[in-house]
Amino acid sequence: MTSAPVLQISDLRKSFGSEEVLKGVNLTVQRGEVVVLLGSSGSGKSTFLRCINRLEEPTSGSITLNGNSVTASNANLRTLRKQIGMVFQSFNLYPHLTALKNITLALRLSLGQTRQAAEEQAKHMLAQVGLAEKAHAHPSELSGGQQQRVAIARALALEPQVMLFDEPTSALDPELVGSVLEVIRLLRQRHMTMVIVTHELGFAREAADRIIMMDKGEIVEEGPPEQLFTAPKHPRTREFLKHFTGR
Amino acid sequence: MEQIQYYYFNLPIMRDALPTMLHGLGLTVLMALTTVAMGVGAGLLLAILRSYPSRWIRWPIICFVDVFRSLPQLVIIILIYFALPYAGIEFSPFWSTVLGLSLVLAAFAQESFWAGITATPRGQWEAATATGLSHTATVLFVVLPPAIKTSIPSLTNRIIAVTKGTALGSAVAVQELLAHAQSIQSVVANPSPLTLGALLYMAIFAPMVAFSRWLEWRYRWSR
Ligand SMILES: Nc1ncnc2c1ncn2[C@@H]1O[C@H](COP(=O)(O)OP(=O)(O)OP(=O)(O)O)[C@@H](O)[C@H]1O
Ligand SMILES: [Mg+2]
Repeated sequence: MTSAPVLQISDLRKSFGSEEVLKGVNLTVQRGEVVVLLGSSGSGKSTFLRCINRLEEPTSGSITLNGNSVTASNANLRTLRKQIGMVFQSFNLYPHLTALKNITLALRLSLGQTRQAAEEQAKHMLAQVGLAEKAHAHPSELSGGQQQRVAIARALALEPQVMLFDEPTSALDPELVGSVLEVIRLLRQRHMTMVIVTHELGFAREAADRIIMMDKGEIVEEGPPEQLFTAPKHPRTREFLKHFTGR
Repeated sequence: MEQIQYYYFNLPIMRDALPTMLHGLGLTVLMALTTVAMGVGAGLLLAILRSYPSRWIRWPIICFVDVFRSLPQLVIIILIYFALPYAGIEFSPFWSTVLGLSLVLAAFAQESFWAGITATPRGQWEAATATGLSHTATVLFVVLPPAIKTSIPSLTNRIIAVTKGTALGSAVAVQELLAHAQSIQSVVANPSPLTLGALLYMAIFAPMVAFSRWLEWRYRWSR
């Protein structure tokens, strides 16, 4: 059952002009697996995640989601994107809509749900991230941690096959980080397949099934957290861990 | 002093002119409202179309906008009224004026809305795209509502600037406010009707100007 890969990425390359930012990345993510992506600033982590749902157009390589090609020229992108939940560092909530409407918008427009069904689903999602009572608040009335949890609920509501997190806690005050990580832990318990970019090494160690170390657009090392944290093989991994745990 | 009062603030003349002039005022207001509805509507539509990633849509819009932003309003009205009939297209004086002004307002309104659309953070587009929304749905439900709000102050200024051009209708014989003021003025050989006309223009445009001041003030403090 765990052998069917949800995501299969092979030889993914991306260049911005003459700068090659991803230099042939291969990654297979199994159903229910939690993969944490580490790497210093500019190593290409965000670009990698954004290529998976083609917010960024890959230069070459192939990506499949449950066996369906995302990179094919005739891929039904809208359908595939609904199955790939994405959470951004800066939340990207719609400022003019309440928390509830932020969630119902895609339910209604992408899934074609009725208003009533969408609102029910949205309330359910808000309750899951502990914000049932904030349904009618606008983003500006929410803390960063609350906004990020609404953003997670918005992505989850579409019942995606995989969730991508791009530094979900980096824009948060330290005391708000915990509430967001708590939601991700909950998703892990429910066997949600996730690819997470984060600099929270403690969380990575505890929550990841596998850690990927990225450097200059390449995967330089990967393995289970214990192995990677206690016996890093690649010099860049050692340097990175020293830098981040030394703070 | 008495001379000034006699020539410019001649109350009996003004009183006699008032009914006719109010008639003209009605037409001015009607032209202004029609122009605003058509111009702002078309401008919004053009701004939405311009957001599509196709140069075959974008290019003609940019050309249209730049042409109508650079031509003087009077030239456009005169062209529509006097030149189009040679091509078999005829508009009444009223519609020539309204159409000319609407084209100009559409061009400027497009720019206002477009500025609002491009000011939308990229993350908004991305969040919508990532949840499977189409381009059209993203523009209509995610990008436009805040963009329209952003564009309101500059749009209001444009609306005032262009709708004042209804006075140009007098050049193609629309019996609007200024035309009446001029004709009565020549009959009674006294410019007081023009003063009255100016006062009546003030009566409709001063509240709009005050409204735009208030908007600017409010926006400055809400940021
Ligand atoms: N739209 C773009 N145009 C040009 N260059 C880009 C663009 N996006 C990213 N880059 C470049 O690609 C490289 C990788 O960027 P990316 O954002 O993927 O790194 P990252 O690992 O996510 O870094 P960080 O930890 O700072 O978020 C950087 O050198 C960046 O300057
Ligand atoms: Mg990044």
